[in-house]
Amino acid sequence: MKLIDRLYKDAPLATRNEITPKLGFLLTILLAFAWLIPFLWMGVATLRPASDGINLMAELMPSLKPTLDNVRDAWEIGDFPRYLLNTTIICTGILLVQFVTITLAGFAFARLDFAGKTLIFYLFLMQLMLVPVLLIVPNLSLVAQLGLYDTLAGVMMPFFASAFGTFLMRQAFEAIPTELEDAALIDGASLIQRIRHIYVPLSLPSFSAFAIISVTSHWNDFLWPLMVINSPDKRPLTVGLSVFTKTAEGTQDWGTIAAGTLMVIAPLLITFLIFQKRFISSFVTSGIK
Amino acid sequence: MLFSRRLMLGLAMAGTLASALTFPALAGEGPTEIDLYFPVPVDGKLARDMGTLIKEFNDGHPDIKATAVYTGSYDDTLIKTRASIKAGKPPAAVIMSANFLLDMQIENELTNLDALIKADGTTKEQFLGQFFPALQGNAVINRSVYGVPFHNSTPLLYINADKAKEAGLDANKPPQTWAELTDWAKKLTKRDGDKVTQWGIAIPCAYDYCGWMMETLTMSNGGRYYNEEFGGEVYYDTPSMLGALTWWNDLVSKFKVHPPGATPGPAVSTSFISGNAAMMMLSTGSLTYVRDNAKFNYKVAFIPRNVRNAVPIGGASLIIPAGVEADKQKAAWTLIKWMTSPEKSAWWSRATGYFAPNMAAYKTPDMVDFLNKNPDAKIAVEQLDVAKPWFATYKTVPVRKNLEDEVMLVLNGKKQPKDALVAAQKAADETLKPYNAETSLKLP
Repeated sequence: MKLIDRLYKDAPLATRNEITPKLGFLLTILLAFAWLIPFLWMGVATLRPASDGINLMAELMPSLKPTLDNVRDAWEIGDFPRYLLNTTIICTGILLVQFVTITLAGFAFARLDFAGKTLIFYLFLMQLMLVPVLLIVPNLSLVAQLGLYDTLAGVMMPFFASAFGTFLMRQAFEAIPTELEDAALIDGASLIQRIRHIYVPLSLPSFSAFAIISVTSHWNDFLWPLMVINSPDKRPLTVGLSVFTKTAEGTQDWGTIAAGTLMVIAPLLITFLIFQKRFISSFVTSGIK
Repeated sequence: MLFSRRLMLGLAMAGTLASALTFPALAGEGPTEIDLYFPVPVDGKLARDMGTLIKEFNDGHPDIKATAVYTGSYDDTLIKTRASIKAGKPPAAVIMSANFLLDMQIENELTNLDALIKADGTTKEQFLGQFFPALQGNAVINRSVYGVPFHNSTPLLYINADKAKEAGLDANKPPQTWAELTDWAKKLTKRDGDKVTQWGIAIPCAYDYCGWMMETLTMSNGGRYYNEEFGGEVYYDTPSMLGALTWWNDLVSKFKVHPPGATPGPAVSTSFISGNAAMMMLSTGSLTYVRDNAKFNYKVAFIPRNVRNAVPIGGASLIIPAGVEADKQKAAWTLIKWMTSPEKSAWWSRATGYFAPNMAAYKTPDMVDFLNKNPDAKIAVEQLDVAKPWFATYKTVPVRKNLEDEVMLVLNGKKQPKDALVAAQKAADETLKPYNAETSLKLP
């Protein structure tokens, strides 16, 4: 096998005759394939004509007469460009504000001294234990009082501060040698300049790791946007998609669901494929596993 | 100058903005804007049908502008409605799962509709008289009207007539008792060694559906499952329910004619359509889907009995939440009456497979025509004679889940029926405790 040969050549000399790395490689291929199956099925199901009947729906073999009918149906039922725009606004809006808040909060916890610092930090961490669903009603009444009910800003609001992000940035900032900051201090750099020119550039991997986690979780969030948004033209992708997938009394049109799902995940998937290397390296360097 | 020109300008703009935000309603004598929350209980294409319906309403009522707001499943719709009431932004009307009305009434979340009915110059009796009597149990609480039936269902037995013929059974004489159904299921199960290639019967068990099917089986086993008069009692640990769950479990583990595990509704309908299951118990709400997709002859029949013929009502009613302003209430009432009128409810029934709660719907020419072509749509209506209200208590969803969690354990082979029901009863009693402390246990 060519692949095995190549692996053999690439392997470090010392491990070339060992079996374990090869087994590991095989296992990875198997896992990758298992991971790929739902995506393959989604692609196949999207292109399958309704005339194939539901018997073939679960098959991975593509249909001989592929059709775009399902895509057209999904496209007609849901206003996907609008949903995509809304989701993008929500995710980037949250992320941009989060970058500011977690940098400042993380810096405060890592480098500043103030009364009750440890206590406040633990309170921050405790917030991670709360299930978000628990806060739906209080958050919603607050959002309504602020006049943000049925607005995208209302969807974003509760996530502007992130306990996880603060914790992550605190760890990243603490790992940066204080000597660098001292040197900048001697040169007369202000607090903001020190953060901007020393701490932020040196923590980029942590920022990108956080960005991935933040964007994927808000991209996938369903219940909260469902609560805040009423106007059909303000729906994000998840709420739009669930028009196909959430049923109570038992029927489903798999082709349309597959097509709709494909439209929803495609942007994230493509981004991931393009920036794959950077994503992985940022997780490795920031120590999230 | 103390105030710079820029500041003045800024203040003026802020003032305009603030007044625009605070008094949008005073800006013009536009139509009354109302929201209608709706779940999608079946096929996603219905979201499009709902859009058609609301557009037609708006075109015919220039003084009202209704917006259909999609709100997820029945359970999600309850969460969203409650959250929006608490946030002070209740929608004017909601298509709400019929069995949530009691719980909402207990929590003071519903508008009593009596006054609106009276203002129309009709009596409660006249108003309710339009609907099938079986539906009133879930719409009337303490002799006041709180909901208007919109689309309703009963469970049905769906049979693949071709497979039945193959097995030497006549689908025109469907099984009428559990014994006959067990016998049919055995004959319709095909095995290849230990592997089952065709299941005799499939019954869904996922949140919401599972409780409904359990209620169906318990009722046809003579039981009553909850106290219809009072929201604080459920009868999980009773012989009628034990018998029902034991039989369901026997189909799975003893006779091996029912796929193991808790299967969601869409998986059941898919396996029926694909011929993988020869019979299924499912809502009449899935009838249009089956009619459109089945590539074989199918029959629809009453749910077989063990002790008596009885089924629960399912589906949804229209409600007006508490705290809706008077003008919006009036607009919502107009919308509700329009949606439940014979023509509209008949149209919706044909689109979905739900039966139309308004009895006059069945006298409209389109419907008579439709029933002649699709006699299977009559079965659910005929079954209404033996239909009873749908499970409704204080905190309906948690109390229902107390049972569902245990039933799922049984179907997954992890628990025995008796142990499961004892545990479910205990959990439900715990959930109902606060209400009982406030009502039945509170002594003068």
